[in-house]
Amino acid sequence: MTLESLQSLLPQILLALGSTAILLGGAWVRNRRLWLLVGALVAIVAALVAAFVEPPQIDILGMYSASAYARFCTVLWSLTVAATLVISCRYVDIFRFGGGEYASLMLFAAAGMSLLSAATSFVGLFLGLEVLTLALYILIAFRHGDTRGAEAGMKYLVFGAVATAFLAFAIALIYTATGTFNLQAAAVGLQAGDGLRPLGLAGWALLLVAVGFKISLVPFHLWTPDVYQGAPAPVSGLLATAAKGAVLAAFLPLLVMSGEGVADIRAVLWLLAIVTMLVGTFAALPQTNIKRMLAYSSVVHMGYLLIALIVAGGDGSRALLFYLVVYSLATFGAFGIITTFADENGEIQDYGDLRGLSALHPRRCALLSVFLLSLAGIPPLAGFFAKFGLFQAAFRGGYAELAVIGVIASIISVYYYLRPLIALYTPEPAVVCRDFAASTETLLLVGCAVTILILGVFPSPLLTLVAQILP
Amino acid sequence: MAIDFPLLSFLLFTPLAGALVCLFIGVGNSVAPRWVALLTAGGVFVVSLLLCLQQPPTAGWLLYEDYRWIEQFGIRYTLGLDGISAVLILLTAFLQVLAVLVSWRQERAPGVYFALLLVLEMAAFGVLLALDLILFYLFWELMLIPMFFLIGVWGYQRRFQAAVKFFLYTLVGSLCLLLAVISLYLLHGDQTGTYTFALEALKQTELSTTQELVFFLCFMAAFAVKVPLFPFHSWLPDAHAEGPAAGSVDLAGLLLKTGVYGMIRFAFPLFPVAAQKTLPLLAGLALVGLFYAAWVAYQLVDIKRIVAFSSISHMGFVILGLAAWNQTAWEGSLLLMVNHAITTAGLFAVVAMIEQRTGTRSLDQLGGLWKSHPNMSAFFLLFCMASLGLPGLANFAGEILILIGVFTVKPLWAVIAVGGILFSATYTLRLVQGTLWGGNCEPHDKQDLHSREWLVLVPLAVLVVALGCYPQPVLDLLREPLSALLLVGGMP
Repeated sequence: MTLESLQSLLPQILLALGSTAILLGGAWVRNRRLWLLVGALVAIVAALVAAFVEPPQIDILGMYSASAYARFCTVLWSLTVAATLVISCRYVDIFRFGGGEYASLMLFAAAGMSLLSAATSFVGLFLGLEVLTLALYILIAFRHGDTRGAEAGMKYLVFGAVATAFLAFAIALIYTATGTFNLQAAAVGLQAGDGLRPLGLAGWALLLVAVGFKISLVPFHLWTPDVYQGAPAPVSGLLATAAKGAVLAAFLPLLVMSGEGVADIRAVLWLLAIVTMLVGTFAALPQTNIKRMLAYSSVVHMGYLLIALIVAGGDGSRALLFYLVVYSLATFGAFGIITTFADENGEIQDYGDLRGLSALHPRRCALLSVFLLSLAGIPPLAGFFAKFGLFQAAFRGGYAELAVIGVIASIISVYYYLRPLIALYTPEPAVVCRDFAASTETLLLVGCAVTILILGVFPSPLLTLVAQILP
Repeated sequence: MAIDFPLLSFLLFTPLAGALVCLFIGVGNSVAPRWVALLTAGGVFVVSLLLCLQQPPTAGWLLYEDYRWIEQFGIRYTLGLDGISAVLILLTAFLQVLAVLVSWRQERAPGVYFALLLVLEMAAFGVLLALDLILFYLFWELMLIPMFFLIGVWGYQRRFQAAVKFFLYTLVGSLCLLLAVISLYLLHGDQTGTYTFALEALKQTELSTTQELVFFLCFMAAFAVKVPLFPFHSWLPDAHAEGPAAGSVDLAGLLLKTGVYGMIRFAFPLFPVAAQKTLPLLAGLALVGLFYAAWVAYQLVDIKRIVAFSSISHMGFVILGLAAWNQTAWEGSLLLMVNHAITTAGLFAVVAMIEQRTGTRSLDQLGGLWKSHPNMSAFFLLFCMASLGLPGLANFAGEILILIGVFTVKPLWAVIAVGGILFSATYTLRLVQGTLWGGNCEPHDKQDLHSREWLVLVPLAVLVVALGCYPQPVLDLLREPLSALLLVGGMP
């Protein structure tokens, strides 16, 4: 490993070192907010480095890349983690989390996500995914003495471990079939049509299972609602946004570059996309718990993103990245609002508890409306152009049926996004009087909402940026 | 024709600016927002009035604006004003002033309430001005959000069900529209190499008969729900019955009109062949709706619901006029639309006043208001007479033009439609009889109209009489653009 490779990996190294430093420091100074803010600062610095420091080399040891695309992903995940840390400030105080440990694990997860979406070989991919998942195992079960949290952590651990096993076995099979760890070469090698092709295909199928677990595609989504419900709200937010985005981002270049090499995989993905959209939608309808609803909503959105992944190519990739940003903003915002509603008695999750909150907290309820309506794709919020780009790409790529199913799913989705809003605006006195949000939290969430509005009216800058950095 | 000052954008964004001011000023201040809203709506009305008066009625665009917007998708910010949009914009701006006045005493979160009203006005303007299909679609959807919250937060007991029903119904139609727009855009792009959503360019797209029919039906799904055309009407009575008074004025005056506007501006010119093939179907649905809604209105006891169903019945008449596909009938349709907006706004306003004074909207409990509240009852009677098509009052002019136009093409349709007028007479007379005469109810508020209510009702009444006797200025504005649109489509 040369100095240049180290320089190219600077953002990830910053995240990892910052994580370790905070872990050690946290043992000496027991100040929760301090470490959370330091952690956020580290993540922001890493994002700035990734955005503005030109790496000396693009290919790092054949495992990672420092391309514009990879760095863009690093910026996204680092900023998400920074935002999650800021939004958790009051939350960690309420539930008496260890501030240093929490911040350290978050940064560790950021490093993992960043490595994951920068991976160009299976080894790099595996490492990144494991770093991320290990951090998440702990974060999900972070609330002491909370049975739901423990259950969620256990569920994620079991499913995660199984997925890891699938992934490892898949990599072994693909390596046997193609003789390479390089993602690109493995995808192209599959095309060659030699006797080992079935073996390779089996490997790819197992890989899809592993990925399906991670981004909760139907039928591998069963853990999602339980885990989202049990995990602390900010962690659920991270799970739903960056953790899934990183996996998708890792596979996007693969499907774009390999052309016809993965045609068979595309057929499977096609089926998965349809099933995911439909099952997710109908499962979301009867939910009366906002975190479970958001879990199923994230399942449905993964189905939409799968459309973009199938279309690949210029339009599809652009749509995917744009969608990912917009979806992450809105989902993070929604979980952020749930975080700020938490107090000593726990989080507000059931629609019954949400009733009448608008009179008490008009601003946060308005923000939650913006986030949920954006997820539903109602103009002039950014969710509209995100879906528009997606369906347009699907039509253009010859997948009109996927676009039509997507549109139907988003019509139905309006119903389950409106249900919590209706509860919020019911004119009843709120059952419980909750604390007021800290100004930093409000400011951050207002920032998210404003970004969603601006992207809804002027999507051009982000679209241009995304088109430039595409692999 | 481009002018230096972007007057259309100014018109479009003034309500938005007013809405933002309302929102910020409304925190902890319950009086200021309504004045801001009134000033904004009034100012917009004056501007649009000047706009209409100063322009000569020609066939082309009176005003036109075109800017780059989202180049990646070929979306442009294109606005155009012709006689048709001018008339409807004037109507919208006028009704919006009244809507603000009607809800003057809004106690619950007035800042947000008036901001939503102004956003609704902006969205309606956008729909009436946009010439880029995506821009149009954005404003079309934007109309939903303020209306959803107006009904859902400020409405009556079952407001949430009504709001959700309204939202889902219209959204299903809208998404059909969106799918058709995207497909049309891609087809056009594949044919010509330029991907654009501009209305004029898309009109040139070569389409097979089937494609045209499918696209046309998708467009019509969105517009027919908004109109609402039978059998897509069931959201409207609920939305009216559960929504606040200003919401009803806006629903009847603004939202329903955009459906018809969408048909003549987009659906018919883009797919003329398919449109003419489906005219008999359209006429059939319009006639069924005309009778069905009138029949239902005759059975109901809730006076607000009766007015809502009368609205559906009248819109059936409007659509029948469009289905005749000739100059006279189209002029009649648009005129009736304007007149209907004014009479219905008047009816909803008086219904709200009756409810304030008696605490009920049920015909069983109402009666005898003529004695206790003579002035209010006189206005109610006037609007009711206009609504049933009494010659000399507003609706008659539109209806007679439609009947003449339809009779020249399909005499049978016209004959059936005349029966519809009879029907509307029956339910309207029942409405009048049940509220104004008969057994006395006990209104808890004995006061007849006060000054603000006079201010709402007098302009409406003046317009009802004026448009009934002399509709020529409106027709002048409509004539050229309509004949241009008809030429594009050709005669059936």
